Amino acid sequence: MSVAATDSKTSYLLDKLQSLSGVIPIGAFLAEHFWSNSYALVSVGKYNDVSRELQQIPWRIFVETCVLFIPILFHGLYGIYIWWTGKSNAIGHPWMANWLYVLQRWTGIIAFVFIGWHLYTERFLGHGVTSYADVQRSLLNPWYLTFYIVGITCASFHLGNGLWNFACKWGIAVSVPAQRAAGWFGAAVAVAFTFIGVAIVLALHYGAFPMGSYVQ
Amino acid sequence: MADKTFIVKIKRQQRPDEAVRWEEYELRYRPHMNVIICLRDIAEKPFTRSGSESTPVSYEANCLEEICGACAMIVNGKPRQACTALVDDLEKPIRLEPLTKFPLIRDLQVDRSSMFENLKRTKCWIPIDGTYDLGPGPRMSPETQEVGYALSQCITCGNCLEICPKVNEHSNFVGAAIVSQVRLFNMHPTGAMHAGPRLEALMGPGGIEDCDNAQNCVKVCPKGIPLTESLAAVNGQVLVHAVKSFFRGS
Ligand code: HEM
Ligand code: SF4
Ligand code: FES
Repeated sequence: MSVAATDSKTSYLLDKLQSLSGVIPIGAFLAEHFWSNSYALVSVGKYNDVSRELQQIPWRIFVETCVLFIPILFHGLYGIYIWWTGKSNAIGHPWMANWLYVLQRWTGIIAFVFIGWHLYTERFLGHGVTSYADVQRSLLNPWYLTFYIVGITCASFHLGNGLWNFACKWGIAVSVPAQRAAGWFGAAVAVAFTFIGVAIVLALHYGAFPMGSYVQ
Repeated sequence: MADKTFIVKIKRQQRPDEAVRWEEYELRYRPHMNVIICLRDIAEKPFTRSGSESTPVSYEANCLEEICGACAMIVNGKPRQACTALVDDLEKPIRLEPLTKFPLIRDLQVDRSSMFENLKRTKCWIPIDGTYDLGPGPRMSPETQEVGYALSQCITCGNCLEICPKVNEHSNFVGAAIVSQVRLFNMHPTGAMHAGPRLEALMGPGGIEDCDNAQNCVKVCPKGIPLTESLAAVNGQVLVHAVKSFFRGS
């Protein structure tokens, strides 16, 4: 540790943007993504309608670039830099929040690799026009299915724990009880997202429609 | 009847650039000993367990009642004050190491002046001197006094920096103690008049944004200071200050 020699505000701005980008747009997109893919639980027709709707939005490539590609790349790459500026000691001092610090980093990198692969196989190889049948075909492969479940679990944990971090680091939850409440909220988000995400890929894998009765 | 004894292992280094050596001492047990007494016993008779002559161990201590902060070191793997580390409570053999996040001077003695420099950099004082009598300051509510009192107990021991994953050679993070002092001085009605420059200082490199919420600091603070609350509170203050000064000018 040393005394910093400059008063540049760049690192403050970049750190705040990294933190914000985890919630908006990346976290918000994850919620939207799980929402639209939940149509896989309803029916093939609904799923394909919703996918086509999303695949035909105006300004698509600009929206994808500004709302997804750039934020995820920035959050992930800058996140790796933040990781490098820390030196974990959770093995010698195994307190819960200290482990969460480590897990936030490992789940982040796993989610990053997963998202990259997922984008490549589903977005770019399919030229942005994938249907229920295409997604189901990839999920029939047990290795793909496993990677999906791992990726979804990591992304969901990372979002839930990230929301707790966010609440503390933006001065929203200040008191110890408020920080604890934010922690429970984050845990609930992590569990709910994992459950919904895994339900979607399992439904696709088995071709099951547990909410099929919604279609009259 | 033979005296009851116990072993103390100490990580020693004559100079920072010298190779580390671990020395073992066998000390005579008496009730209510603390780690400082162990180090004094060694200074009286600096012979290692194997009988070879050594030198007294370098360390710092003043108050012996956990209010000066000087005696921080790593005792059995955990950063803490040596004067309140009681031999009766410690697992044997007792292992003593210097703090690792500050430049080593010798043996268990480190140079913690970077904390003082960072207190100065973040303007952790209250200016009350003028060229004329400024008169009495504004009154402080009992609620503010109560929160402030807890924060004012910081002894600059450095344990919270030692345990923090974000205090290391890859980062300039000032650490929880300094952030908590900023909160204390910003909370004081006279100190609040200079909150801006303190928050500005924490916006620079090594400032508040380096905290990544591992929350270890609060586990090792000997004074039980609510450091995680201070970090969150100051994070909010810096953010509001940043937004306000950008949109409205300062
Ligand atoms: C599924 C995509 C992702 C989502 C939804 C997401 C969400 C979040 C959220 C909400 C935060 C909390 C912000 C804060 O700390 O204040 C965060 C922090 C963080 N994320 Fe991500 N993130 C994602 C991907 C990644 C990736 C790919 C990495 C790369 C390794 C990463 C690394 C980090 C790191 C290092 C932090 C900082 C934690 C801290 O400051 O303690 N994240 N993320
Ligand atoms: S905040 Fe606590 S641990 Fe940190 S320097 Fe002050 S007294 Fe020591
Ligand atoms: S000697 Fe003062 S805190 Fe230990």
